[in-house]
Amino acid sequence: MTPTPTEKLDSALPGEVRKFDEAGLISLLETVERKHGFIPREVSEEVTRLVEVRLERLRRIQGKLDSGIKRDVQMHVARWREEEGNLIMILHAIQNQHGYVPREVAMELSRELGVKLARIYEVITFYHYFKLQPPGAHNVTVCNGTACYLKGSTDLLNEVRARLGIGEGETTADRQFHLDVVRCIGCCGMSPAMVVDGKTHGRVKTSEIAGLVEAVKKTEAVA
Amino acid sequence: MKTVTRADLEAYARTPAVEPADWIRVQLDTGGIAAGAETVFAALERERATRQLPLVLRRVGSVGYSFADPVVEVQVAGLPRVLYGRVTPELAVQILLDHFGAHRLLDDLIIATRQRARQLDGPVTHLLVRDSGPETGSKTEFFQFSLAEELKRRGLAAKVQVVRALDMGVYDEGVVVQLLPSGVTYANVLAPDVARIVAESVEGGRVLDDLLWKQPDRQVRVVLRNCGTVDPESLEDYLRRAQGYQALRRVLTGLKPAEVVAELKASGLRGRGGAGFPTWQKWQLTGAQPAEQRYVICNGDEGDPGAFMDRSVLESDPHSVLEGMMIAAYAMGATKGYFYIRAEYPKAVERIERALVQAREAGLLGENILGSGFNFTAKVRLGAGAFVCGEETALIASIEGRRGSPSPRPPYPSVRGLWGRPTAINNVETLACVPAILLRGGAWFGAYGTDTSKGTKVFAVTGKVRNAQLVEVPMGTTLEQIVFEVCGGVLDGKEIKAVQTGGPSGGVIPREHLDTPVSYETLQKLGSIMGSGGMLVMDKSDSMVDVAKFYLRFCVDESCGKCAPCRIGGYQMLQVLDRISRGRGGSEDVATIQRICAAMQKGSLCGLGQTAPNPVISTLRYFNDEYKAYLEGGPSYARKMSRAKLPEPAPAAAAP
Repeated sequence: MTPTPTEKLDSALPGEVRKFDEAGLISLLETVERKHGFIPREVSEEVTRLVEVRLERLRRIQGKLDSGIKRDVQMHVARWREEEGNLIMILHAIQNQHGYVPREVAMELSRELGVKLARIYEVITFYHYFKLQPPGAHNVTVCNGTACYLKGSTDLLNEVRARLGIGEGETTADRQFHLDVVRCIGCCGMSPAMVVDGKTHGRVKTSEIAGLVEAVKKTEAVA
Repeated sequence: MKTVTRADLEAYARTPAVEPADWIRVQLDTGGIAAGAETVFAALERERATRQLPLVLRRVGSVGYSFADPVVEVQVAGLPRVLYGRVTPELAVQILLDHFGAHRLLDDLIIATRQRARQLDGPVTHLLVRDSGPETGSKTEFFQFSLAEELKRRGLAAKVQVVRALDMGVYDEGVVVQLLPSGVTYANVLAPDVARIVAESVEGGRVLDDLLWKQPDRQVRVVLRNCGTVDPESLEDYLRRAQGYQALRRVLTGLKPAEVVAELKASGLRGRGGAGFPTWQKWQLTGAQPAEQRYVICNGDEGDPGAFMDRSVLESDPHSVLEGMMIAAYAMGATKGYFYIRAEYPKAVERIERALVQAREAGLLGENILGSGFNFTAKVRLGAGAFVCGEETALIASIEGRRGSPSPRPPYPSVRGLWGRPTAINNVETLACVPAILLRGGAWFGAYGTDTSKGTKVFAVTGKVRNAQLVEVPMGTTLEQIVFEVCGGVLDGKEIKAVQTGGPSGGVIPREHLDTPVSYETLQKLGSIMGSGGMLVMDKSDSMVDVAKFYLRFCVDESCGKCAPCRIGGYQMLQVLDRISRGRGGSEDVATIQRICAAMQKGSLCGLGQTAPNPVISTLRYFNDEYKAYLEGGPSYARKMSRAKLPEPAPAAAAP
């Protein structure tokens, strides 16, 4: 079990956890939804475990609530409704909003567009850019374009791997760091380059990695 | 902005732009921003506001000097125009204080102009000095000191300032001195020359012919003509200062579609995406298809790792690309266009989208453009990180919202393309050339380059090179000239081993072939391709087997899996290469690789699979010794051998 759902709940629960009537549940789920923009599946599963509500009943309650996803999806679809071949652009909008494409949203999108879920997943899994897992709180991206490769991005990557204890495309157990490798960010003039939380660092040396990672952790502590 | 009419454009064409006396331009492209150009801009803005300085601060795109990012250009009345590189917020403030305030140029930041003159056209005000060897050091300071002392002795110290430069644009030619504002450049300056320079040139106004650096700049900026000078976020700036939409006006008001095609034919422009198909022919074929709807697509899916010229052009001069697209649309009778841009280039997407909005508001997009009856709309579609989508048919599938799987050609997109309609797909760089060709004539463009490859081409030179930068040179310039004369040679003065062109679909070109003039045909003959223009410099310490493996792994990852030769062949070949690179290869491995290469080239469905073996084939062709060394003694032995000698054909290789 990952600690995340509990964490998500902990931050959302207003104290009295175990005794819930329907109204309490709705308000709880609303809080979760406000925080994440939708109700992640693992949260609803965790809720049923914690408060002993049968999953179907929860789903029924959730159905009243999922309007958030629905509204979002409808908004994205409305923006692109008239355009031919809009699926990829809608997926971009969704990923921009959530940082990945959550299953719930993909399902809603399939209903809204009248496109089979399998076709949506066919597209999502084809393109590297779309992600099915939520990103970590901090994202570390090492560029592995040719220029960076020649200037030692492999060493950088190994150092980051060792520091964070994760491989490419993985997230640390505490969901703090997510490590990715990209093809080229077009900063070949400053190779080797890496991106930490949207900020590009150029001409990175292996010895600087520890500092970069620590700096991110520190901003976390301050916040 | 209000609607731009034909009369407005005519007025813009007649009235030259009025430049403010004092201005600073900050080059804000992705590379610059990553290096901190935004903070530099903010610091300048703050300082200007608090001191209420009367100067114009502008955002522009990148001129292409990636090695010196962030770059800032400064013009102050009475002083030569200067490019400062590697600027930090503190240095930016210093520039305002010293350069703008006290009229003193800053040391160690200036990138010397490449517009080198042969005549002095007025009194010398500044001397730029730098040792042009790989390691600059005390020598530069010594010459700065001696020049300054000599000037003082002659009582010129108040009139002439001696400044240490960051980059002179002349390399490995001893100490270089540039006389500003004229741009007369002296190379191989020795200590006894100091007195002569001051007496003859500074005081006497005569050029010292024995020291004069006569080599003109290799670069010709056609595609990059506006990069770094116009504000990419302002249509007004493009219209006023870059002859914006004048080519479109000329086309819409005076030329028939066939005449536009004829002009392109005269220019000899070929597709800059890599394959080199004649652009005029593509337009003509698309236009000749009977259809009620045709499309034009701008391919900005620059997937080749190590190439960034399309990104730079889209970010620095988006309106030129749009104008080129509109002219293309007019020539082939298309009314809808798509920009297909990588999602990894958010800045490029943002600036193209802004350009589209501005053009729409000004009536340059939409119905009845400039009162000519021509209708055109354009939209942006994002790529999503799939290299194969640079292939025409895969790109079309992606715009249609599907997986980017290629389909067999024919039918070519010019017959059956987007939504089954005739479609022309042009590269960013190709489209950026078009307005310049229409304005200055096809013959002007065709005068550059070689017989079969005409015009200029932008290269992104990166890797182990001293100055990683964008280079635009006429076709036919040799690789040696590009790498050594324009970009300063190999990093840290090491020995060059090879140059890789064309990215994962290209090949390596060894040192002995660097004197080859660059054109579509010559590169192909050497087993590489022009590609989109990525150029990677490798030095002696780079293992060619590793490089081949790197590119092959890229293609294996990016294979869409539709056809077997590419999907299976690539993977199996990677296994063999991996075995070799770890020193576990067998004697039959090279033969296996060659068989797989042949199968992939013949049997693959699209360009990705057909060209994926190129890096392997070309490294095998030129660096067979290195593969042998790996097979004989493993990776560490191979590395030692490679460092010990350059890959000339070894006697052992010639024996059997």
